[in-house]
Amino acid sequence: MRTFTQAACLSLSLALGAGAFQTVMAQQIQPELGPAQQAFIDDPANLKPFGLTKEKLAKVLQGRDAATIATTLSAMMETIEAAKYRGYDGPQPEGQSKLDPVGDMPEIALNPQAGQFNRGLVLRPSILDQYQRDPGPFSLKRYMYETDGIPTFANAPVALRAEDLVAGEVDVAFVGVPLNMGSGWRDSHNAPRTLRAMYGIGGFDVYAGVDPSLELSLADYGNISVDRLSIELGVTHVREMVGGMVEAGVIPFIIGGDHSVMFPTVAAMADQFGAKNVGVVHLDAHYNAARDLAHFQSDTQVVSRLIQDGLIEGKNLVQVGLRGPEMDEEALEWMRSQGLRYHTMAEVEAKGWDKVMRAAIDEAKDGPENIFISFDISVLDPAYARGAGRPVAGGLTMREAMPLVRRLCAETKVVGFELLDVSPFLDLSYATSLNANAILHSCLTGVAMRKKGLDKKAYLSPLTVSD
Amino acid sequence: MSLTRNTFAFAAGLLIAQGAFAAEPEVDRRMPNFLKAEAKEDAEKAKKRADPLDALEYTPSRAGDVPTHIDAATPGLKPRQSLEIPDDVMARLAFLPAETLEFLKSGKAGTAVRPDVMFEKILGFETDEQIQAYMDAIQSVFAQIEFQEGRDKTAIALNTASPNFNNWRLLRPRDLDPARVPGPIALSRYVGGRGGGFSTFAGAPVAFNQADLRAGDVEVAIMGAPLDMGSGWRDARRGPLAMRVMGRGLGGTDVSTMVNPGRTLNIVDYGDAAIDQLSTERSVQEVRRMVREIAETGTVPFIIGGDHSLEYPNVAAMADVYGKGKIGVIHFDAHLDTGRGRVHLLDHGQPIYRLMKEAHVRPEDYIQVGLRAHYSKEYYAWQKLIGMRYHTMAEVERRGWDAVLDRVVKEARENTEYLYISFDVDVLDPAFEPGTGTPVSGGLSMREAIPIVRRLCAETNVVGFDLVELAPELDPTYRSTLNANSILFSCLTGMAMRKQGITETNFISDLSSDHGQDNYYGDAP
Repeated sequence: MRTFTQAACLSLSLALGAGAFQTVMAQQIQPELGPAQQAFIDDPANLKPFGLTKEKLAKVLQGRDAATIATTLSAMMETIEAAKYRGYDGPQPEGQSKLDPVGDMPEIALNPQAGQFNRGLVLRPSILDQYQRDPGPFSLKRYMYETDGIPTFANAPVALRAEDLVAGEVDVAFVGVPLNMGSGWRDSHNAPRTLRAMYGIGGFDVYAGVDPSLELSLADYGNISVDRLSIELGVTHVREMVGGMVEAGVIPFIIGGDHSVMFPTVAAMADQFGAKNVGVVHLDAHYNAARDLAHFQSDTQVVSRLIQDGLIEGKNLVQVGLRGPEMDEEALEWMRSQGLRYHTMAEVEAKGWDKVMRAAIDEAKDGPENIFISFDISVLDPAYARGAGRPVAGGLTMREAMPLVRRLCAETKVVGFELLDVSPFLDLSYATSLNANAILHSCLTGVAMRKKGLDKKAYLSPLTVSD
Repeated sequence: MSLTRNTFAFAAGLLIAQGAFAAEPEVDRRMPNFLKAEAKEDAEKAKKRADPLDALEYTPSRAGDVPTHIDAATPGLKPRQSLEIPDDVMARLAFLPAETLEFLKSGKAGTAVRPDVMFEKILGFETDEQIQAYMDAIQSVFAQIEFQEGRDKTAIALNTASPNFNNWRLLRPRDLDPARVPGPIALSRYVGGRGGGFSTFAGAPVAFNQADLRAGDVEVAIMGAPLDMGSGWRDARRGPLAMRVMGRGLGGTDVSTMVNPGRTLNIVDYGDAAIDQLSTERSVQEVRRMVREIAETGTVPFIIGGDHSLEYPNVAAMADVYGKGKIGVIHFDAHLDTGRGRVHLLDHGQPIYRLMKEAHVRPEDYIQVGLRAHYSKEYYAWQKLIGMRYHTMAEVERRGWDAVLDRVVKEARENTEYLYISFDVDVLDPAFEPGTGTPVSGGLSMREAIPIVRRLCAETNVVGFDLVELAPELDPTYRSTLNANSILFSCLTGMAMRKQGITETNFISDLSSDHGQDNYYGDAP
């Protein structure tokens, strides 16, 4: 009985909401509240970080005296203020390391005295090879029909330098970028080696009736070196290396790494084809357009960085599969203001997958000719890809994702494809790796279809599908 | 076509095997290449090459001073070894300008290419132009690799204009909660202390600040530090969560000693330190602040990682409270973690160097146990030079675990008044601890680890403890987490023993064995 009364009171005060707050104010605080404090509580953006609305704050303050309320409000204001950078220019106390500054750390110090500072990023000129060879991709297979042995993507021959790609007139080259600082569960640096060791890329495709391994000249370009402890220190190198692949005439298939990789890869495309002259199709559970973070580079902000740096235009970005709690109204409004063409899973729920897929493909064609696809494995439902750095329930099935990727790669001029955030060790089974390779295979098939002229809408092989 | 060729090759192979086409009859084909005279000669030569560390002498370190030879083998700071160029090679290089020859003699070329390979290539070139191009390539690689002011970054810039710069470590104003008097907050609903449903370390109540610790006379505060930038397979950030949720291994009575640490000690869960998952440097300052906050009240901090970068802020905080050079560290690990001279000033392989370089701990007060990862010989030579005490698994193989255990406990009692234990779970064999970022085969068993941790915490003055590198998602079973909790429990048991005054060597309760009744083994007192 007593519980019921309490519940009734609670719902009553909740219903009153702002009214109750005003009562509290009128009775006790109004004379004490300065204009700054009033302005502070009037702005919902100030209350949101505390998990509060004006009504919830009223509940918290109910029954407190004016002095306590003033203390609480100034603690809240100070907290919001403390979020900003506060440096300290004065002298360090004696014996205190510069790495332990008095104020906020304005930058993260490196060690210029380190031995061979740039060692990881310097390429070996071919003249320094101990044993010389002619340029061109070379096979690691001993046998005619070898499927295991030393693993490479799609069992492709190896290319180490741009001159190998040029000499082999390579169409598609796979390259790993094992950078995984950003992602939640951090295992995606194991993706390139695990996907190399899993089958499923290449061979006859039953949907298109095409064998991309036969139609295309493929190569495995190895991994691009990254700095395991800094995204920033690796960005320029990845950008140059991917750009070098495009210059060598190939379509790079990039295997991450987490989604922070999208910045240097798309930037490389902008370098090659012109800023704002590349359309991007971004398949992901995550919008990745956070702004105003303390770090300049991370997976959660690649999209906004690319737009703010003038490398791509908002309207040339098509996003599919968005869901999860990261986005809020403010984020969606910003995305809309930039003209992003986003398709959430809510839209899939409302309109059905076929319509959303058609819209995404049409939009990809309605913009720059050159298309780059950024595929985050988390766009798939965790049932298909539990080995994801940031899995979110309620995603695409493989039977939705494969046709979309195949069609995009067949029907648009794809100049690059990336598959990011596969975290293989987080999946005890082979399923994530197998599905990841099936996605790579779908795009590879699309590229082969286009080369053969099979780029009509939703083409399927008459041998496997009757009219 | 290919079949014909293969058949021919096969036949030819047979003939060669039978000795019909033996091209070099004087060579014994049964001798593997690495045992042939030429290969052995190379190995001998390499052995004779002088080790620059041999010329240096051990100099004892004083508390608060930076150890003398701390940088004797630090990449980038150690002296570069010059290169002797054989006469026949020198003759081919005579046309080069003096500065190129200087570059070669300085040993800098070794950055780009192995000297023996370089000599062979030079002798093989036919023209001066080829040699010139080769040398240009070597010099260019060297110039690219070495740090260059103006070209290379000395720091990673942060966005100081961000309104969210400190979001990651903003403290929540406690005024937003209902008023309470300071003291640990019990999360249990029932009289028996059970049933809250909220997972805390050891089921302990929660404390938020020094006032809580002081009001509750808290003796042990367990905190999480979910930092995992440095670690290999990276999942250590979920270590604290997993150990809280596990709910097994951290309660009850220890059968060896009949001590119940949960009933003997005042333990709290102090929550997690804030971590910036994109910067170790920023994170460790916050961890250091929080560990110091605990230790200042006389409470013993237990820090649950997180990766082994944490050893730096944890021990630095202990030195902040107890004094520089006043604390010894027992470092349980498959890895030396004395990495240094890298581009980043801290990661999970470098905490010890940074602690010694900032003079928080003397090398002599460092005791490593369980080492077996593949660090180069130079690392050990340097550790020996500066006086660190290390116990590898090779020593366990040679002396047996009991002898090593006794020695470690004995050493821990020497030198310093205060001790800190840093326990990397990869010191355990992967059979016991598959859920870790950089596992190494051939490690300790739980039956070796439990007694050493319990004994150290009982018989020496341990004032801080960390357990790091548990990566629970990498182990589909509960085992890694259960064992991590059990290690923690062993130290809590030891501390509870000390509180009860049980500090005798290798104490085992009489009640615990031989039915507590007879003297079957003939060794009862």
